[in-house]
Amino acid sequence: MRSSRFSAATVLLTILIAGALEAGVLPKIDLPKDSPVAVIAADYGDSSESARGGALLLDLHASLTLRNSSQRRIRGITLLVTAQEVTPGGRGSVTVTSLDVAPFETFPVHIDLRLLRPLQASAGAPVQIGLDGVLFDDLSFYGPDKLSSRRSLTLNEWEARRDRKYFKALVADGGPELLRREILESMTHAADRPALDVQMVRGGRATNFDPEKEVQFAFLRLPDSPVEPVEGMARIAGNEARAPRLEVWNKSPRAIRYLEVGWILKDRGGRQFLAGSVPAELSLAPGAKSHILENATLKFPQRGGAPLSIEGMTGFVSSVEFADGSVWIPSRADLADPQLRRVISPSGEEQRLIQIYRKKGLAALVAELNKF
Amino acid sequence: MSLPPGIRHPDEAQLALLAGGELGRWERLRVNRHLSRCSACAQQVELMRDVAGDLRKLAAELPQNLNWDQLDEDMRGNIRVGLAAGEAIARFDKPGLRARPRAWGWNAAMVIACGIVVFVAAFWINLPEQQADHLLGALRRIRPGRIGMPVRGLDASTDGIVLAASGSSLEVTENGRTMSLLHPQSDAVTVSVSMRGSVGVRYVDADTGQVTTNKVYDAEQ
Repeated sequence: MRSSRFSAATVLLTILIAGALEAGVLPKIDLPKDSPVAVIAADYGDSSESARGGALLLDLHASLTLRNSSQRRIRGITLLVTAQEVTPGGRGSVTVTSLDVAPFETFPVHIDLRLLRPLQASAGAPVQIGLDGVLFDDLSFYGPDKLSSRRSLTLNEWEARRDRKYFKALVADGGPELLRREILESMTHAADRPALDVQMVRGGRATNFDPEKEVQFAFLRLPDSPVEPVEGMARIAGNEARAPRLEVWNKSPRAIRYLEVGWILKDRGGRQFLAGSVPAELSLAPGAKSHILENATLKFPQRGGAPLSIEGMTGFVSSVEFADGSVWIPSRADLADPQLRRVISPSGEEQRLIQIYRKKGLAALVAELNKF
Repeated sequence: MSLPPGIRHPDEAQLALLAGGELGRWERLRVNRHLSRCSACAQQVELMRDVAGDLRKLAAELPQNLNWDQLDEDMRGNIRVGLAAGEAIARFDKPGLRARPRAWGWNAAMVIACGIVVFVAAFWINLPEQQADHLLGALRRIRPGRIGMPVRGLDASTDGIVLAASGSSLEVTENGRTMSLLHPQSDAVTVSVSMRGSVGVRYVDADTGQVTTNKVYDAEQ
């Protein structure tokens, strides 16, 4: 009798805890009615919520299973993640690229999120998940595009196509062994690139005590680039860089509506690393010049070793979107430049192919390249 | 008239006070009784009364337009001069007491300064180059005017949104509250920053093999 009462109480307690957890932790997933993807299953395995001092710490580990309910193959998807109660001005996103999901196939998306929210939190879902965009294999796009997902997914897709084409050509020209050599070289370069923490704030100002100075950009001119940087400056103070100003010239015969300039920083020890990109939405007629100005500050906190001290900068045009929607990205030949190769990470597709080689070997990599 | 043996004469002060009319009633009766029997004391009191009369006459003869304020200042000045002269004489009398500690102070300062120079040199020579650079950088950042003030992190704009990427998470922090997107700690994680207001990390998911990019944005993006 006592044992059955105990069991009933345990079950009741479990139900209550599960209910409380569900009410407090689970995100609200909101997809448009005509969305080309549907949520088939959602697993929140190790998600939990616990009190931390005067706040609640929410650990959300969501594994969503989505189905392609459209008639086209999906190449990439961006999900918008918001926590209105905690960071009403900030947003997050989870993007999956290099996909090849056929109609009615399913694919997983993992979201691992941590949220520190007030104890007196409202009863609603703390996290909202929505769809920002889906890119198909014909480069058509669906979604509200609040985060400019269309552009970033398209650029990713072009990079993936460029690298797949390059690796396929290697196999065709020199067989799998040539492909192996290239993959191993790429892995070696990846290991040499410095890993840095970074903080960014818009409209910020230098906060450390080093004297601030204006430093002029040096430029790396890629032969095929439709845009050429003319001159540029940024303010540098110790491990902070801010307020880059650039002048660019459209040397192509086509109008340009968007471009990004990659920003390489050099520290006192001569190390170089890709700090970020300076994007600009503009209307740049053929032969015209334009200025780019971004009022934001980057800071590179120390992660072991000596503190970073920025001494020099190099800029290069990393992507261009023409007025007709087509894009330009650096070619593999451009990326073979020794300076760029030292600092630019491989594309997402190249990283994925390297992982296949690591886990499954050369034959599996060649088979993957032959898929599409 | 001679006094009987064992009787004491009043002292000079009592006699002077009696002559000035300032002795108390009972004392005055007792001293007057003594004067009636002691001619020497009576004679002394009489002499004192005469001198007091002469002084009063002399005071009456002081100049009419005497400047008392100036006299007061002159007196104070004389007192100060006297005090300063006294101190000077006192120092002159004990020359060793001042000279000894002054010499010892300079010697001590020299010894301490030499010790500091030797310590810093030894410390600097033995310090690894990286640590020395770090220390030098820290010292350069010290501004005397800022000592005691709190050290801030990256200064946020008015809306207070800071985006950050670290080894295992992306964070968007607003008014002290944080939302983090977690990613695996790996060398293969690629950090990307857009100066328009986003920070991202890209990695290949070990379970699914998918290329995943997490990003955080500020409101204006």
